[in-house]
Amino acid sequence: MIALNGIAKTYPGAVPVPVLHELDLGIDAGEFVAIMGPSGSGKSTLLNIIACLDTFDRGMYELDGQVISSLNADALAAVRATSIGFVFQGFNLISRSSAWRNVALPMLYTGANAKQRYGRAQELLARVGLEDRADHLPSRLSGGQQQRVAIARALVNDPSVLVADEPTGSLDTRTGHEIMTLFDELHASGRTIVMVTHENDIAARASRIVTLRDGRIIDDNRNTATQGFDS
Amino acid sequence: MISWSDRVAESVAALRDNRLRTALSVLGIAIGIAAVMIVSTISRGGNHLVFSELETFGLNSVWAYRDWANDSPLERQRSGSGIDSSDVEAISEQRDALGIRDISPIVRTNRNTPARRGSRFANIQLIGANVDYLDIVNDRVIAGRPLMRHDEQQRLAVALVAPDVIEKLFDRNEDPIGKVINIGERRITVIGLLAAKSRDFLSSIGSAGGENANDRMIVPWTFLQRVRGDTEVDHLHIAVNDFDSAALVADDVVGLLGRRHAGNFNYSSETMASYIATTDTILGGVAIVGTIAASISLLVGGMGIMNMMGTAVLERTREIGLRMAVGARQQDILWQFLIEAALISLVGGVIGLLAGAGISVVVVWLTGFPLLPSMLSIVGALCVSVAVGLLSGLLPARRAAQLKPVEALRTD
Ligand SMILES: Nc1ncnc2c1ncn2[C@@H]1O[C@H](COP(=O)(O)OP(=O)(O)O)[C@@H](O)[C@H]1O
Ligand SMILES: [Mg+2]
Repeated sequence: MIALNGIAKTYPGAVPVPVLHELDLGIDAGEFVAIMGPSGSGKSTLLNIIACLDTFDRGMYELDGQVISSLNADALAAVRATSIGFVFQGFNLISRSSAWRNVALPMLYTGANAKQRYGRAQELLARVGLEDRADHLPSRLSGGQQQRVAIARALVNDPSVLVADEPTGSLDTRTGHEIMTLFDELHASGRTIVMVTHENDIAARASRIVTLRDGRIIDDNRNTATQGFDS
Repeated sequence: MISWSDRVAESVAALRDNRLRTALSVLGIAIGIAAVMIVSTISRGGNHLVFSELETFGLNSVWAYRDWANDSPLERQRSGSGIDSSDVEAISEQRDALGIRDISPIVRTNRNTPARRGSRFANIQLIGANVDYLDIVNDRVIAGRPLMRHDEQQRLAVALVAPDVIEKLFDRNEDPIGKVINIGERRITVIGLLAAKSRDFLSSIGSAGGENANDRMIVPWTFLQRVRGDTEVDHLHIAVNDFDSAALVADDVVGLLGRRHAGNFNYSSETMASYIATTDTILGGVAIVGTIAASISLLVGGMGIMNMMGTAVLERTREIGLRMAVGARQQDILWQFLIEAALISLVGGVIGLLAGAGISVVVVWLTGFPLLPSMLSIVGALCVSVAVGLLSGLLPARRAAQLKPVEALRTD
């Protein structure tokens, strides 16, 4: 489902910073992959490339059989709209919009009408346990609730991959584990998830742990201890 | 693809989120559009006023008269106007060849000639003219009848009388037609009433010789000749067929007069066309200055929008990144900001239009200019304001659209 071959990226500048070195990674449908590694090892860069938000210098990236490196800007936007759901560390909700409008935002760009958007947003809010918060502004929601809204938003167009960069990084431990419970459920229902984290206990919830150091994969473990559905 | 109604809804939501800034930008555009409206009202109204007053002299007018300025001492000893009845006849006969529509000899008394009716007095001016004079100077008879051929032939003491004279000599409920006005020992019968003519504006700027057109009495020129006991004519008042050839006709008439009098007199002429050219230049200059001033205020309004949109793009960089991350294309981001800018200027345009119309009404009321609302200028102002908004929004919107998703998301 995700195939990265020889992906290399260097940040240009007075002192060019190489971030990814000829990286190979394959992820199958239904996997729950945690990407770990020390700060600055290139986790976010790799995740952004997977989410079609960032470009790379060399290598080939295939998502759902589409060669991403050959797509133009509009086609990339379409891939982001339909194949990717992104969950950020900082939630990234639009503060002037109610919870349901935040959830429905990706549907604007796929041309769904208002009725479809509202219905689908309600469905997803119920899925993350916030059916009674649809009209609340983000400022009236707790951090954990905001992240649930963001997860509902990421799922609203039923993407092939759910991508999350330290989704529990801004939350306290208990709330973080509640979010991970949600991820577990999504994984259990067959959703493909790629998640960056530097917390061991969070990574332990995944079915596979890929460890980066200085832009190279130094470890790739299938975690048989979890209730993996992919092995 | 996102629908246009959703695009507008997103833009409206963003604008509502920042009410104060939106209101200030709207105000900037409104002031600019109002300024354009007011300048256009004043300029159109002023133009109309000046031309309607010039029209009271006849726009196709040419005046030919004896010119004393270049006389030699010998010529100066020759008295008289240098124009007589036979000149009028001769030029009349050649009117088609000369390009003349109408010609009237003019014989005048002094201004402030006293007229009396019973115990009432009025200072008037007697203008002796022929039957074509009314057409030349666009005079209208509102009661009674105009001058006729037999008035001219019989040299009758009959007059067309302007409103101020009537007001001073007659009671309000009195019918002046057929009544007699005394001028010196002459008794002149009123045969018609002239419509009022305004030269207030030209008089107020010192033109038109401070002339009040409403104190005139028009009588047959032959009658005034009879009174004076000569066959002289003070000057010729001509209407040309073709406005653009007025100067040529004037030269031809002056040349003809010179030849007919064997070089005994010098002649000169004036044309309304040359006054109109001067007026056009002055009014055009005023309009340009006004338009520049109004355009500058509109430009400032546009810069206000540009500044606001620039700030909005900076503040909302993260939001732009998020929208891109969930599938917005570059053009979707571009349109979101362009529509925001266009909405600001459209609302500003409508407000400016209403304010401009209101102020125009006040200006018209204060100046007495005619109010000439023009659909074209209203539609034009709205188009201009939206165009200003789109142009001002274009730069910031393009900057937003060209952001890279990761970079936009990284800002805070
Ligand atoms: N825009 C950028 N310009 C230059 N260097 C960058 C940029 N973004 C990230 N880096 C560098 O690339 C490396 C990897 O960054 P990142 O992928 O964010 O690591 P991680 O998420 O593992 O902490 C770091 O050394 C970081 O300093
Ligand atoms: Mg990171």
